[in-house]
Amino acid sequence: MPLLEVKDLRVEYRVYEGMLKVLNRVSISLEKGEKVGIIGESACGKTTTVKTVMRLLASNAKIAGGEVRYSGEDVLAMSKKKLSDLRRRNMSMIFQDPSAALNPVFTIRQQLYDIIKYSSDTRLSKQETHEKAITYLKQAALPEPDRILDSYPFQLSGGMKQRVNIAMALVSANELLIADEPGTSLDVTIEDQIMRLLKQIVEEKRISVILITHALGTVKNFVDRIYVMYAGTIVEEGPTKEVFNNPQHPYTQMLIKAVPKLTGGGVPEGILGQVPSYLTPPSGCRFITRCPYKMEVCAQVPQMYATGGNQRAACFLFDEAHRPK
Amino acid sequence: MSAPILTGHGLKKYFPTKGGVIRAVDDVDFEMEKGEVLGVVGESGSGKTTLGNMIMGIYPPTSGQIAFSGKALPTRAKDRPVELRRDIQMVFQNPASSLNPRRSVRQALEVPLRVGGSKESVKERIDELLKLVDLPVEYADRFPEELGGGEKQLVAIARALATNPSIVVLDEPTSALDVSIQAKIINVLMRLKDKLELSYVFITHNLSLMRNVSDRVMIMYLGKVREVAATDEFFRNPTHPYTRMLLSSIPVVTEAEEAVKPQKTQSIGEIAGALNLPPGCSFHPRCSYVMDVCKKVDPPLLEIAPGHWCDCHLYPKEYRKEPTT
Repeated sequence: MPLLEVKDLRVEYRVYEGMLKVLNRVSISLEKGEKVGIIGESACGKTTTVKTVMRLLASNAKIAGGEVRYSGEDVLAMSKKKLSDLRRRNMSMIFQDPSAALNPVFTIRQQLYDIIKYSSDTRLSKQETHEKAITYLKQAALPEPDRILDSYPFQLSGGMKQRVNIAMALVSANELLIADEPGTSLDVTIEDQIMRLLKQIVEEKRISVILITHALGTVKNFVDRIYVMYAGTIVEEGPTKEVFNNPQHPYTQMLIKAVPKLTGGGVPEGILGQVPSYLTPPSGCRFITRCPYKMEVCAQVPQMYATGGNQRAACFLFDEAHRPK
Repeated sequence: MSAPILTGHGLKKYFPTKGGVIRAVDDVDFEMEKGEVLGVVGESGSGKTTLGNMIMGIYPPTSGQIAFSGKALPTRAKDRPVELRRDIQMVFQNPASSLNPRRSVRQALEVPLRVGGSKESVKERIDELLKLVDLPVEYADRFPEELGGGEKQLVAIARALATNPSIVVLDEPTSALDVSIQAKIINVLMRLKDKLELSYVFITHNLSLMRNVSDRVMIMYLGKVREVAATDEFFRNPTHPYTRMLLSSIPVVTEAEEAVKPQKTQSIGEIAGALNLPPGCSFHPRCSYVMDVCKKVDPPLLEIAPGHWCDCHLYPKEYRKEPTT
């Protein structure tokens, strides 16, 4: 049984203008100890997907269909108590902006102690709490953990704040860690350090990871498998190496091509147009408005077709009946 | 080689604060040829935006001089004659905040046109500007909120070009945008550079992008220039330990790029606070080649190969040694 299974998930947001039909039949699965990445541009539903898993969706969000199963249990139908247990012991999340994830008016000590007490099943003494806090901070490679504990967030650099967030997430993430753009707001040298640290920790502890990012290079060195999202749909999935070396879906191909290369060769053409409005998304393939290969059949919703190896892509180009000659 | 169009000599910008003096830019020299793209690269806090702001005359340097076509530029924009101000324009990082949300594209573009321009030609000129940046002329009557992020940035570029400048300072023009959009913006910028014979000061933290757009790269760290070289030479022979760290930290997509990265150097430590700079070379606490002299003496910027400047005690060669870690 997979650790996490998301099936045909549909999520909509109620706004003044109507319903934003964001997620459309999103399916992902994750085995124990596996690291998967979700890549795609801004506003493609990456964060909405994992927020549904954590049950952290905003109040104007509506789950219009599909299911989320954690170790076989239905997360969407879970009681508050059960859900809280899940978040206490099994899974946790690291957010993009390390400053926004910490409360500015409390010291790290207050915030980290709270989380440790909350996630512990037994009542911890002060000494025990402190020792645990130090252990987690050390795991996140923070020097002088005692000084960090007495600091307010504003006294720490962005990189250190993100390390504190990692320490906090490790308290509860015994099985699953969701990292939503953990390095994006940091400088490249610091991001490199954070990603190396994170990888080392999750591999040591055999924690499963969902890594969300729009930085393709970051995800490439981290995860075993990749899901590519576009406009609220999964357009391609496969082992990391195969997806990068041999992308199949037109969107994936264009996305990888659009990244400027360190080896030079000029700036490639981007992808013309933009992500369609979620108020009235295309009823068929959602990439139809930007796809250079579009066919008549693309007005229908493509399923995931096997494209060779372990890769699958949601594109009619891989359907026998429509494969161009 | 022709005479440089823009030079800076001994540029310093110190900001006095309650906690002490912040040396944002500390003794920077630079030269830019006509038609050149000078890439200014550095992490946050390296002083690259401060340098751009001084070129624009947004604030005057504490000391030092900027010369345009061989003539000294008044340090404050308000002391510069209108013709000079027209000649140097700027595009900011975040198009959502650099455009007034209550002004239509037409109103935004009118402002620079009205300053000393003739009234009757304004409408034609706006159409011309929009065409120049590949936007439909109907966009003139739209408001920023009706435009995508990339389109907003194109409007900001059109606005900068309205005065027929010869130099444009581009301050992270694409870092707020997705890669597919970035490619489009960069292509427009490069096409316009050739068409209108522009010179760019291109400020960014993205070395992969720099590889593909700039003619020369200037690396800044804590207010100082650490390395300058022509782009090809720079990537073939990255010399300064900081440059090597920066390069090795970049997440890349292809194996060919992986091969370009220096393998030995790994990112360690964090950029020091601007208030208490380390003595000697400000990079020494993070440098794996650190020697005793680095902790006391700031190395001078030396030409280690034709056109390739680097300030590190490892050069001249007699000081060279293997990394300590």
